[in-house]
Amino acid sequence: MKSPFSKRLAVVLAAAVVTAGLASSAWADKEKVLNIYNWSDYIAPDTIANFEKETGIKVRYDNFDSNEILHAKLVAGQTGYDIVVPSSQWAKIQIQGGLLQKLDKSKLPNWKNLDPSLLTQLSKVDPGNQYLVDWLWGYTTVGINVDKVKAALGGMPMPDNAWELVFNPKYMAKLKSCGVSFLDSPSEILPAALHYLGKPPYSQNVADYNAAYNVLKPIRPYVTLFSSSGYINDMANGSICVALGWSGDINIARRRAIANKSGQNIEALVPKNGGLAFFDTMAIPVDAPHPENALMFINYILRPEVDASLTNTVFYANPNKASLKYVTPVVANNKTIFLSPEDQKKLVIPDAVNNDVRRVMTRLYTRFKTGV
Amino acid sequence: MLARLISRFRSVFRGRNAVILVPMLWLFVLSAVPLLIVLNFSFSEMEIASVASIWKWADDALTIKINLGNYLYFGQDPLYFDTYLSSLKFAAITTLWCLALGYPFAYFMARAQAHLRPMLVMLVMLPFWTSFLLRIYAWKTLLVSNGLVNQLLMALGVIHTPLQMMNTPFSLTIGMVYAYLPFMILPLYANLVKLDVRLLEAAADLGASPWKTFWLITVPLSKRGIIAGSMLVFIPAVGEYVIPELLGGPDTLMIGRVLWDEFFSNNDWPMASAVTIVMILLILLPITIFNKYNAESKSEEQA
Amino acid sequence: MAAVKDDVVLEDLLRIDGLIKVFDGSVRAVDNVSLTVAKGEIFALLGSSGCGKSTLLRMLAGFETPTAGRIYLSGKDITDLPPYQRPINMMFQSYALFPHLNVWDNVAFGLRRDGMPKDELAERVESMLKLVQLGKFAKRKPHQLSGGQQQRVALARSLAKRPKLLLLDEPLGALDKKLRESTQLELVNIIEQVGVTCVLVTHDQEEAMTMASRIAVMNEGYFLQIGTPDEIYETPNSRLVADFIGNVNIFEGEVVEDEADHVTVRCPECLHYVGHGITGTPGMAVGVALRPEKIHLSREQPDKPHNWCAGDVADIAYFGAHTTYHLTLVTGMTLKVQQPNLTRHSGQGLTWGDRIYAHWSQDAMVVLTQ
Ligand SMILES: Nc1ncnc2c1ncn2[C@@H]1O[C@H](COP(=O)(O)OP(=O)(O)OP(=O)(O)O)[C@@H](O)[C@H]1O
Ligand SMILES: [Mg+2]
Repeated sequence: MKSPFSKRLAVVLAAAVVTAGLASSAWADKEKVLNIYNWSDYIAPDTIANFEKETGIKVRYDNFDSNEILHAKLVAGQTGYDIVVPSSQWAKIQIQGGLLQKLDKSKLPNWKNLDPSLLTQLSKVDPGNQYLVDWLWGYTTVGINVDKVKAALGGMPMPDNAWELVFNPKYMAKLKSCGVSFLDSPSEILPAALHYLGKPPYSQNVADYNAAYNVLKPIRPYVTLFSSSGYINDMANGSICVALGWSGDINIARRRAIANKSGQNIEALVPKNGGLAFFDTMAIPVDAPHPENALMFINYILRPEVDASLTNTVFYANPNKASLKYVTPVVANNKTIFLSPEDQKKLVIPDAVNNDVRRVMTRLYTRFKTGV
Repeated sequence: MLARLISRFRSVFRGRNAVILVPMLWLFVLSAVPLLIVLNFSFSEMEIASVASIWKWADDALTIKINLGNYLYFGQDPLYFDTYLSSLKFAAITTLWCLALGYPFAYFMARAQAHLRPMLVMLVMLPFWTSFLLRIYAWKTLLVSNGLVNQLLMALGVIHTPLQMMNTPFSLTIGMVYAYLPFMILPLYANLVKLDVRLLEAAADLGASPWKTFWLITVPLSKRGIIAGSMLVFIPAVGEYVIPELLGGPDTLMIGRVLWDEFFSNNDWPMASAVTIVMILLILLPITIFNKYNAESKSEEQA
Repeated sequence: MAAVKDDVVLEDLLRIDGLIKVFDGSVRAVDNVSLTVAKGEIFALLGSSGCGKSTLLRMLAGFETPTAGRIYLSGKDITDLPPYQRPINMMFQSYALFPHLNVWDNVAFGLRRDGMPKDELAERVESMLKLVQLGKFAKRKPHQLSGGQQQRVALARSLAKRPKLLLLDEPLGALDKKLRESTQLELVNIIEQVGVTCVLVTHDQEEAMTMASRIAVMNEGYFLQIGTPDEIYETPNSRLVADFIGNVNIFEGEVVEDEADHVTVRCPECLHYVGHGITGTPGMAVGVALRPEKIHLSREQPDKPHNWCAGDVADIAYFGAHTTYHLTLVTGMTLKVQQPNLTRHSGQGLTWGDRIYAHWSQDAMVVLTQ
């Protein structure tokens, strides 16, 4: 869930080309072609190449960087894609809207590798697990540069709950000096604020969101950057010290800082009352030209080694129980990637909100960001 | 009856009319049809993952359900009014700067020796040879706090701490003026190059200083170029999305962003369509004024 | 007609001293020209296309900077003044009316630059429009006027400031022939009514003769001759001038006798006895210019030793008021002869191929030494 506008535009353009080139043709399914639309920077270097070598299927791999873009394309229809990777709460609407097709599980022998507890959680948005297969999952949380935060806070002790750092003006006023970054999206910031307030993060009640805005408003002057991707670098090189961001990204920043020997000690925090989980799920659009190839690919990803290589690359947990033995120890032992059972239990499971709430969220977010 | 109709039809579309028909059809397909679709959407509502149709055919009756809710919503939230206003403001500022910078530019191009002019026109168009996004990004690298401009100013000792230039109205204005300047210069140049120098001599002869001559003769006579250039800058600038997104900041909200939000964040196509229709109406106003001027001064120019 | 010292006949208004204009380092558009124009004069610069008339005029107006030489107006050196500071106004060949201003504002333009008070300005503009009979058209834009009306607006505009000197560049060039003739006199009337000194550029010798009190004939940037219209016509000082002004026959020959009151010139065609003296010597090669309308025709051979020749009618051109005959002489030279049609059948029954005798008086010719 990342990257700035130019990428966004490039993605839109590329997608337009694909759409024009591939739009439904009767013989498409016989073609040895597969069109995938996934989040950017969310795959291992050899994942595609190995699949192509094995099956002889030519993969066209395009990126997007927000659920909104993917959703808009699915609503418009005729995307030409065979696999898309929406987050689960968006997939819920897409299932309801008839934009996705059911999976033929007889073609997915590796389905057995999936963690049952994860399947149970996903069944809340996808009853009977008929449409979605988790790609990777993570959670929205707070990442810090340990030394810089300590210095900025002065004598002040670290708060008990990590959300306090980014939502309590008391801390924010101090942290501004070393740089604070927020994810740039209403659907990330408002649920987090609601959760901090102790209200249901995916509330369908407009009044709750107004309360969340009242939390956000006072901290606006202290947010120095709105970013959904650039913050990884800024964290790694120390130009920001706190990020409201995604767990995997924060871990990437941590690894980069270590690799570059920049001396920045970066850590993802697990808030006391839990992070906001997200599940990015593979699904097949209802009008996919090559659904058979799509199933082959999903089954391929569900192999333990393949899923493990994804996790090893991008530091997000995968749903594949059998893959754990292939995950490198550094990653496997990182308690912010593979959460402890208690932390996992506290995770907030995402849910869809209705159109009116979405409008209110966008509006409040705009007001938060710009003051208009 | 039918035969008469056909012959009537034929006589209308014969010769000159038939020639006009082709571009008319083209215009209709490429702009009128999409516009009608947008208009149609704007009276509709969003269902879960599709736009509700306003046309219903049931029991041999066509019912059209026109939902004005999207338009009424403009009145309920000051966001729309404020952003339209701010878009118009930034577009106007951009237009004025383009005019202030572009006019002397075009003027000296038009007064340059005839054999140099094609090259000057080429230079004005040169930026179009590289990607628009790249050029806007280049400004980003120039204006950031550790960018070239700040480094230069600090090296010269003009400032001691980096200036916050990025993500401000300043950076937005620079980007917009930079991107739209050629659209001001080219029509102005085309107009000024036709200006009869004897009129300037006549003014000087009658006692007007060069400065007076410029304001009393050159400027009024290049009115059409000024208006054309201003329209070419102002109209797209109002709906600009990319430049504010890359160079703007929290206090440079423009209607393009609201449109994006309606479409992508709210996934509310009908509302996005309504925003578009209102924007088109807003822009239509200056175009109408332009056309009126155009018609008036056309006869003058033929003299 | 320069001012004569101690005898204040006419006062010099304009004096040009050794004016030179070189374009692009090599084109000598105006080449060492000197001239004085008296107050109240209408002075014409006449010459073929490209001879430098406009360039000279534009230097007077201030649009071109002379390469060398000075310009004086009322004794004051104005060479370095910019156009808008010279008390000189110009009427442009193409009129150069401001298309975005109406007639009234065009005429008022110069007055407004002087900051003339409103009432006075209105009065002046009204009187100017009345002068050129355009009072009714004050509110019209230039493109709503005919060519002749535009020309009059241009005149009114250039006169409105009451300039000391009015410059006219081909003032009637854009009008058709008939309108041009009637406008010539009207223009002179207006100029004389206003009493402005005037330098006029034209390539039409008739126009120059009709309008100007003096004419300078220009060629390749310099003056061939300056004089009153009849001086220029009757006593051209060179072949070029004679040729340029009206129709002329030029015989080439040499002087055989050079006396104080007459010269005899022998040409292959005939012997000329010219009733005026020249500064020359016997044996000198000269031209003898003879205007077609000064020649008579007869069927009988004239009874005198000179000033006649025989020829065959090669061409007859009937012009209504007169007829022009082209005679082929023994040497092959074509002699143009113009005969007035005094009666309805005064053609003497001449027809192609007829042998005829042309003769003229001793005062009809001018000897050209250059
Ligand atoms: N700006 C200039 N640059 C170079 N040469 C010029 C320029 N203006 C005039 N000339 C040259 O100077 C010479 C005189 O030009 P000028 O315009 O004075 O002629 P003119 O007598 O007015 O002719 P016409 O009767 O055709 O108007 C011409 O050979 C012309 O080509
Ligand atoms: Mg000329």
